[in-house]
Amino acid sequence: MIRSEIYKFFSDYVYKNSGICYKENDYYRLDGRFNTLIKRFEVKDVEELYQLYVQKITPEMHQFLIDLCTNNETYFMRDLKPFKGFAKEGMSYLKETFPSAISFNIWSAACSTGQEPYSLIMATEAFGDSEDVFKMRIDASDLSSEALAKAKKGLYSGLEVQRGLPANLLIKYFSQVDDNWQIEAKFTSKIQFKAFNLLTDRYTPQQYHIVFCRNVLIYQDMDNKKAILENIYNSLKVGGLLFMGAGESLIGLDLPMEKFELGKAICYRKKS
Amino acid sequence: MKVLIVDDSKPIFLMVSQMLTQLGHESIWAENGQDAFEKVNENSDLGLVLLDWNMPVMDGLEFLQKNEAESFCTAPIVMMTTENKPEKIQQALKHGASDYIMKPFTADIIENKIEMVCD
Repeated sequence: MIRSEIYKFFSDYVYKNSGICYKENDYYRLDGRFNTLIKRFEVKDVEELYQLYVQKITPEMHQFLIDLCTNNETYFMRDLKPFKGFAKEGMSYLKETFPSAISFNIWSAACSTGQEPYSLIMATEAFGDSEDVFKMRIDASDLSSEALAKAKKGLYSGLEVQRGLPANLLIKYFSQVDDNWQIEAKFTSKIQFKAFNLLTDRYTPQQYHIVFCRNVLIYQDMDNKKAILENIYNSLKVGGLLFMGAGESLIGLDLPMEKFELGKAICYRKKS
Repeated sequence: MKVLIVDDSKPIFLMVSQMLTQLGHESIWAENGQDAFEKVNENSDLGLVLLDWNMPVMDGLEFLQKNEAESFCTAPIVMMTTENKPEKIQQALKHGASDYIMKPFTADIIENKIEMVCD
């Protein structure tokens, strides 16, 4: 039986440092993570783990805990529609809306292990105009340094490449390395990966034409969600587009953005 | 949806069948390509074929080639095999497979492939 004081200590720390919210009825979701921490730091049980963290949290202990609590579950082409919509019609929209732009700044704001930004390029090559890839400047960020390291490498297991990726794209853009699959170097070099905390780091105003921030806000409470979306709104250019996750919306938030359809994909457009 | 699982291993059939049941699909079994040919002809309501590569009597590639020549199967065919070399994947796609599942796999991969192929 784990004491509620321990759950509270870890959930408060994770919330403060990542915005990920474990409410009391979600505490059980920490149990598996405690076991991983116990093994990693070679302590006997949750009590010892708690004592260790209460005394002093080293940068290594901090990062390991945050990496563990960051939900890194992701697919290539997750939900497919946003990628097809972006590739088929999104790039045309950008060219019409920003006729003088030489390139378009795209931000994958919670890229996890890289599947989202890589999917943007693959989708553009497969469903759109492959020449458009040269116009894309992609930043990809995540809170988890572990996830980012994997994203930069672009090496995935057989299970990972099968999630969301049709086999024709797998053999076209990946080479086999033992039982793993390495994405082509032209993809990894195309993306600027960086660590970024959506809650605490500084956003550059009017920087992006398109922001993908999908399946991250569902783990945030309303105040954090509002803060992050206001910042993302500010970082978008007027006329820029925000793609959110399938279950996410701007309902309840007072932002000058309007629903916008790109093929079968729904996104939000910055009005002013 | 009715799914034909073509695999000479009964444990594999049972495992995949269980996954499909949980996803709300019905499954039937064929032990090899020849058996699958007969099952396809007996079941006009098939929604999907999951096809192993290495089997006795008629293997997966021979089944694909037979279908290429005779077009008896209108349901999409997805390979489900331990053969994981890019050349093999390429070969299966060239002969009419809609997609490819490499063993080992998990239920969410089957679900995901069904969404992509049957959408």
